[in-house]
Amino acid sequence: MTIETVFLMVFALGALTGAVAMFFLRHPMRVALALIGTMVSLAAIYAQLGMHVIAVFQVLIYVGAVMVFMIYAIMLLDVRDRSFTERFSPLLVAGLAGLLLLLGVLIDGLLRGQPFPAVDVPPDAFSVGTFAIVFMEQFWVYFALTAVLLLVAEIAASAVIDIRRRGQDVAAAQAERGNDRG
Amino acid sequence: MIQDLVVHGVFIVYAVLMLMTVGLVLTWVERKQAAIMSDRIGANRAYLRIPFTQVKLIWWGLFHGLADGLKMLLKEDWRPNSYDRMAYAVAPWFAFVPVMAVFAVIPFGGELVPGTFFGWFEGTSEWFGDRSYAMQVAPLDAGLLIVFALGGIAVIGAMLAGWSSNNKFSLLGAVRAGSQMISYELVIGLTVVGLILIYGTVNLVSIVEQQSGVLFGFIPAWGIFLQPFAAILFLVAAQAENQRIPFDLPEAESELIAGYFTEYSAMKMGLFMFAEFIHIAIIAALFTTLFLGGYNLPYMTDAGFLLPGGFEIALPHVLVVLLQITVFWVKVFLMCGFLILVRWSLPRFRYDQLLSFAWRFLLPLALINLAITAVAVWAIQAAGA
Repeated sequence: MTIETVFLMVFALGALTGAVAMFFLRHPMRVALALIGTMVSLAAIYAQLGMHVIAVFQVLIYVGAVMVFMIYAIMLLDVRDRSFTERFSPLLVAGLAGLLLLLGVLIDGLLRGQPFPAVDVPPDAFSVGTFAIVFMEQFWVYFALTAVLLLVAEIAASAVIDIRRRGQDVAAAQAERGNDRG
Repeated sequence: MIQDLVVHGVFIVYAVLMLMTVGLVLTWVERKQAAIMSDRIGANRAYLRIPFTQVKLIWWGLFHGLADGLKMLLKEDWRPNSYDRMAYAVAPWFAFVPVMAVFAVIPFGGELVPGTFFGWFEGTSEWFGDRSYAMQVAPLDAGLLIVFALGGIAVIGAMLAGWSSNNKFSLLGAVRAGSQMISYELVIGLTVVGLILIYGTVNLVSIVEQQSGVLFGFIPAWGIFLQPFAAILFLVAAQAENQRIPFDLPEAESELIAGYFTEYSAMKMGLFMFAEFIHIAIIAALFTTLFLGGYNLPYMTDAGFLLPGGFEIALPHVLVVLLQITVFWVKVFLMCGFLILVRWSLPRFRYDQLLSFAWRFLLPLALINLAITAVAVWAIQAAGA
């Protein structure tokens, strides 16, 4: 067993442990930390396989951006909401059904034993330069489109929150007027 | 290969030792510089007494850093009844480890040929052969991207610490730290994109190598001469990213005690402080690498000096390597001194001013700088083609 295999197994174990912990932990912050563990382990596996660009983006985008915002949101969650202290989520049945489905697909795939097709990858396919050129030539438009769609979704979400808040303000004002009359 | 493992193992030990030492020395520099600037003697109480004598070694108070370290190691590790003990325990490491790891991609010297460098040791030349190594812990072509990736993780440490401490001051500090670090990281990213356009790479070794040339026959091709505006923006945003005065709102003592690490004591608190001081060194090292030519002196090459007019001074490999390492650390220390000078010179912002400064002032300036650079690079390339 080479040292590369040992590292690969250690990080694979880390990724799996984080993923399993996400299923079983109930506190949102702990789930977020488990997800960070999985993502960092995956990045380490990519780096181990020589795909440094993918590894860096895994950390830069998912941990450095997505998870930072998730933790920011969890940090400001209402501390009076103690629903996470209950042993099971209300979505337990749906979650178990999803898990069984996923396991079924995985076991089916393993039983059929289809070998992964051999891909001829040039040695510098994942260097920053090669990746950047391919990205700019083939995927830039899709990337820009996704960014616009995300922006639209963010504006829509803000609008929904704003409308709901205004509705609450109107209801509160009406209730106050009713109290005054009473 | 075992030789590669040995060389990179030595680089790792060297990098960790240097960063720890610099972090320790900077605590003293900060005190001494404050004392000098406010016309005090300062930092002169800690000393080492030579055993069985009355000889006290004060050495300008250099031992204050050691005294601090010992105090933090030996203090009671008091813990609050926190929301989440796990998050409370891992938070200092989230702040400390990424800061240390950034140094892995920073080149602290040029090319090292161990067979020549250790030539006077019997058998070393044969063992190493003609292998050569870039003096950098992790020679990765995604260098600058790794710096930003690790910078993103450090934000999580501050937020976890504040949230898990079960203290309103800590939580406020964490919210401030999160918002501030995200805002200023964007500015840093945009200022550096201009340099990436010019050098055409994110590999820090390659960026430093490109700075070893000259512009117009006599100006060193350092980043600061190519992107002076970006250099200023980078320094300002980096000081804010490190949460130091005038941007130290997340730990503003008059408002939030110590901000997100108010509830930390002993070495856990020490890790936050140490991370802050090592971060100063990392900012200085990054600035040196991106804007001050890294380990290069003007007209210096891997073989010696090539002066204007074609005059050449050849130097032995050992001398070149030592000179490069010395030049790198001298530049880093000078930059650290400057950053600490700023810290003792300016008053603190208000928090709304701090965020406005990032989004309404620095970000537009960084975008304008980037747009002008892009047009200039395009025009020069078009003219060259």
